[in-house]
Amino acid sequence: MSDKKIDQNSFEPVDMSLHEAEAISRRSLTYWQDAWRRLKKNHLSMLGLVAIILMTLLALIGPLFSSFSYSDQSLELGNIPPRLEIYQVGPDHYVYMNKEYKLIEVTREGEVLSRHIPLEDNIFEKFRIYEIGGKNVKVDYSFAAAASKSSDAEAVKFAISIDGEPLEILDEVRNQTYRFGSDNLGRDLFTRVLYGARISLLIALVATLVNFFIGVLYGGIAGFAGGRVDNLMMRVVDVIATVPLLLYVILLMVIFEPGLKTIMIAIGTVYWVNMARIVRGQILAIKEQEFVLAARTLGASSSRILIRHLIPNAMGPIIVALAMMIPSAIFTEAFLSFIGLGVSAPMASWGTLANDAVSGLRTHPYQLFYPALFISVTVLAFNFLGDGLRDALDPRLRK
Amino acid sequence: MASYLLKRILAMVITLWFVITITFFLMHAIPGGPFSSEKQLPDEVLEALNEKYHLNDPLYKQYFDYLGGVMTFDFGPSFKRVGISVNDLIYSGFPVSAKVGGMSILVIILMGIPIGIISALKQNSPTDYFVTIMATIGVAVPNFVIATVIIYIFSSRLGILPSHGLTSWVHYLGPVVSLSGFSLAFVARLTRSSMLEVMQQDYIRTARAKGLDEGVVIFKHALKNALIPVVTYMGPMIAAILTGSFVIERIFAIPGMGKYFVESVGNRDYTVIMGITIFYALFAIVMILIVDIIYGLIDPRIKFSD
Repeated sequence: MSDKKIDQNSFEPVDMSLHEAEAISRRSLTYWQDAWRRLKKNHLSMLGLVAIILMTLLALIGPLFSSFSYSDQSLELGNIPPRLEIYQVGPDHYVYMNKEYKLIEVTREGEVLSRHIPLEDNIFEKFRIYEIGGKNVKVDYSFAAAASKSSDAEAVKFAISIDGEPLEILDEVRNQTYRFGSDNLGRDLFTRVLYGARISLLIALVATLVNFFIGVLYGGIAGFAGGRVDNLMMRVVDVIATVPLLLYVILLMVIFEPGLKTIMIAIGTVYWVNMARIVRGQILAIKEQEFVLAARTLGASSSRILIRHLIPNAMGPIIVALAMMIPSAIFTEAFLSFIGLGVSAPMASWGTLANDAVSGLRTHPYQLFYPALFISVTVLAFNFLGDGLRDALDPRLRK
Repeated sequence: MASYLLKRILAMVITLWFVITITFFLMHAIPGGPFSSEKQLPDEVLEALNEKYHLNDPLYKQYFDYLGGVMTFDFGPSFKRVGISVNDLIYSGFPVSAKVGGMSILVIILMGIPIGIISALKQNSPTDYFVTIMATIGVAVPNFVIATVIIYIFSSRLGILPSHGLTSWVHYLGPVVSLSGFSLAFVARLTRSSMLEVMQQDYIRTARAKGLDEGVVIFKHALKNALIPVVTYMGPMIAAILTGSFVIERIFAIPGMGKYFVESVGNRDYTVIMGITIFYALFAIVMILIVDIIYGLIDPRIKFSD
């Protein structure tokens, strides 16, 4: 024990922050907050989510901004494309010529007004004469038949002349009246595509609810009960699931009158079986854990354990499966409508719109383009969201 | 193995019986007989028709007759096509459908798997990005859109592909491409992701550390395990091809089962709907059993027990 003097300078005050190293500096995140944080980092998923929200908004309120209803038709303004090649006839007179070589009155900006009535319509010599703004306009389409037979795709098919002078295309403008063009009955495709969105998203909603209530409960009960009950319940699921579900849906659709309600019933009747399998697997995996025993010790009833304890703990995979299920339901509806088992006219879904467009595909490809685009974008959005949800909710499955 | 097979076949029979029963009673639950629709037939004619097709028998007798017929592979006559039985339709339609479907499955396997492997081995290269983007789009576009676009571009505009029929090999291009589109994209994506996962495993590093040739590492060590999820998808893939053919055959006017099925749905030809549904179900069940057996063969961890 010497009186060794310790130099004061060899000490320095402890940095206080070291004490706080163990302190919880951030609020602890719940499972869902954590998942949301991870999901937000996934740009593609967020893009998908935004697209789905936009699509839903568009489906809900979009038709309100359209001046047409989905069933409004004006036969003489049928098959007008979204982009118009307009001709100037007079200082304030512009026309668009449709594929049947008929003139339609439009404005410079591209608003479709009405069809011109020809003064003379000679179907033998194949020309029409109109009087527009005091001028004589002649549409001669007598070489159309020859041109479409020739191998040259650019062959001239018609000639428009005004008082004998040939008329050239003035401009190509956007169709202001029918933003996506009009169909063969002169219905506004924009409005119909938005109504189609309503139907597809409604189907998606129904598929989700059915999966959620029937699929989750069925699978949950089978997994939780175990033993003979489980065996029996899952054999039933096996029997249903071995046959392509679409076959059942078609069968059901044949029996009932085609319509929106029927599609919902048909999809609702069979589309829950995959969910039941997934949930059963999850429940089997977690039902032996201590918290179940704890709940049972506290006197919780079986149904309470299942609904309040087991199913919430299996929610991650359930939501992922749901996000993957929705595109398949949308596909099914489009498919059914396409083979003529869908919603009945004049209602429109994306599938019926695509089906309607097929016959006129050669001359009016835009009529297929928009419904196909909307189906694809929606399915893509749900796929992106589903992939992101899988990574966010179930990190073990991260790919 | 033998007891596993026996169990599976028993389950198959039960499933099939279930499908037959459901389709039979669903079809008979439709209000009105098969002949009561369009024009009003005279009562005597209706009576004679009902007599001819045994529709006056009690329901249970009709059911057992039908069940007996199905067991001997006799699906009865078509109600709407005079003088043609459902069997005739199946015999004439199935080989055509099987040819198109089989070619599509070949395309999916022979193209989807290599594309997935290449994409995984060149991860984050332009090739990989291209494959990923194409696969993502391929899964999102419905097959009837692919088919109509093919007809529009290659048949109407460019005139290099025939738009309908199946008389030469070029006729197969359109239907096979549109039928395999979805599953091809899915298989490529699946192969890519499972290959990426396997390539990170320790045993791959071991194989490389041993100085094995990269080709041996990929094809002998990695691929075998990477293909397991792909084989799992085979069952659903067959279902996708089967149901996909409904529309594709209609669009390309191919005289296959799918076309007959959609037509019979359209004109409510109940026996044809029933017969083809049951045949599809039988086919799907057998194919899934075969896939399951293959699955067990390539993955020794799976025992044929349950």
